[in-house]
Amino acid sequence: MAVLQKATRHEMEATARRSRVQALVMDTSFMALVYGVLIILAVVTVLPYYWMVINSFKTIDNFYTDPYSLWPETWSLEAYLNAVGIGRVTVYLRNSFAYSAVVLVAQLLINSLAAYAFARIQFKGNNVVFLAFLTTMMLPGSVTLIPTYVLVYSMGLANTFTGVVIPSFAGAFGVFLLRQFFLNIPSELEDAALIDGAGRLRIYWQIIIPLAKPAMITLGVFIVLAEWQSFIWPLVVLTDYEKYPITVGLNLFKDEQRVFWPYILAGSVIGSAPLIGIFLISQKFLIGGITLSGLKG
Amino acid sequence: MTTDSATKRRRLRGQVFRDTVSGYLLISPAALFLLVFSFVAIVVSLVISFSDWSPLRDEWSLVGIDNYKRAFENERFWKSFRNTGQYVVFLVPGVVITSLGLALIGNHARKLRSVFRTLFFIPVITPGVVVALIWIWMFRADGGVNELLQYFGVSGPNWLLSAFWAMPAIIIMTIWSLIGYYMIIFLAGLADIPEVFYEAAKVDGANRLQTFRHITLPLLRNPLIFVVVTLVIAAWQVFTQMFVMTQGGPASATESVQWSIFFNGFQRFDMGLAAAMSWILFAVIFIFTATQLKLFLSRQLY
Repeated sequence: MAVLQKATRHEMEATARRSRVQALVMDTSFMALVYGVLIILAVVTVLPYYWMVINSFKTIDNFYTDPYSLWPETWSLEAYLNAVGIGRVTVYLRNSFAYSAVVLVAQLLINSLAAYAFARIQFKGNNVVFLAFLTTMMLPGSVTLIPTYVLVYSMGLANTFTGVVIPSFAGAFGVFLLRQFFLNIPSELEDAALIDGAGRLRIYWQIIIPLAKPAMITLGVFIVLAEWQSFIWPLVVLTDYEKYPITVGLNLFKDEQRVFWPYILAGSVIGSAPLIGIFLISQKFLIGGITLSGLKG
Repeated sequence: MTTDSATKRRRLRGQVFRDTVSGYLLISPAALFLLVFSFVAIVVSLVISFSDWSPLRDEWSLVGIDNYKRAFENERFWKSFRNTGQYVVFLVPGVVITSLGLALIGNHARKLRSVFRTLFFIPVITPGVVVALIWIWMFRADGGVNELLQYFGVSGPNWLLSAFWAMPAIIIMTIWSLIGYYMIIFLAGLADIPEVFYEAAKVDGANRLQTFRHITLPLLRNPLIFVVVTLVIAAWQVFTQMFVMTQGGPASATESVQWSIFFNGFQRFDMGLAAAMSWILFAVIFIFTATQLKLFLSRQLY
């Protein structure tokens, strides 16, 4: 009896060990599969960029004899010098910086003022006006393109700096995002300030804005990404290439320089580098913002 | 006593009045811009679509439904609708399946997670024009894509110069550029699913497929609805890829509805026709969105 028991126990332990080993092998091979797929997809994602960067450092001759070598024969700045010289890429870059900066400041200020009022002041019509704000988010951009042009044109702002940025001075998405954040800020501090006789503007500027920094940064990243990437609006509202942002400028450069691809690629590297830099710095805020708007939106 | 409560009431009324004034003052800049560029814009667009307004002429008049009639009779416009429909039908499932698949795989990776997320996100933050420029070269007859296909013994077409292959090329490129964004939304959705559900499924002996079908998929319902609805809306308005890569060609094969609106409004300066087209597009987007929401929200999945 005891022997039998011992044998069964022995057998059971062996089986358990076997299944543990089996599970380990299964898990390891599964994880190998997971990482294998991820690495292949990551390579597929990054390879076109790698190709763009490497080829922007090739000479024209090197590029055309060997466009798929993954290393330049000699590192050359020829393409970059020409992208700046012939391609006026620095002019476009400066314009994009200016447009993005103005829209960033305007939207953060205008949206946060409205968001503060919606979140904290019980004024008559608060909810109705807020709903009206939200409905503007449902308008597809293709419907507003023509009338926005007509309005900007009628104000005499076609082909001007102001004309490019003025339609983006306020955004319902930004008001919504900031309002949600302000609602979660405890109101004790403000109540104390109100009793002390502080005005609404002072409370907004000295209490709310400093506490809302993360939300302001998140919205700020969204605004800059959208403005930097905008294409169709500057394309239709501008006629002088000196005022083009980088997106429209690069497209023009492509039409002018069909044969000098490394120049175009160098321009593309210059044009996307600021966004990649901003992304790497502000990744946490950006991804937090996307998941927030994606799940609750 | 009575005078006291009267003053209190008066003071309260004063407070309500002050709040209303300061509330409206604070929202007024935002309200002004949204009023002009959204509400006034809608009215302007409607008026334009019933008129012959053009920036090239000083005078204009109302022309009734003439622009809508011309839009409906415009063969090229319908072709652009069919093209865009094709784009939507292939792009939306393509993006949802790949980004969800990537999120499901990536969710198992504990190590290096943020590195992968960063890499997959790079195409999302690259301006669409730059993405299009890179892929013009990739899709050449002797481009990177065909070079890769050659390894597998397939000789690829001259993608962007073929009326048949230009649209698939644009769709493939766009899926590639969007995966990272939607992957992040799905990853967040997956993180929201409580671990207990998976433990319970394991106890019940469910395999991976059953777990996915009966736990993961139903609990990803909200992110899925959000992704499909917003993606369909955006896809109907596709423009940049076509404008940069193919200029609508070859043989109008990649002219999208938004391309038609741009072409008629800003190259032929037939703004009335373009505005009418944009309202037809709006109607289509509206019908699609309403139908989807009705379908999704009425079906109880769990």
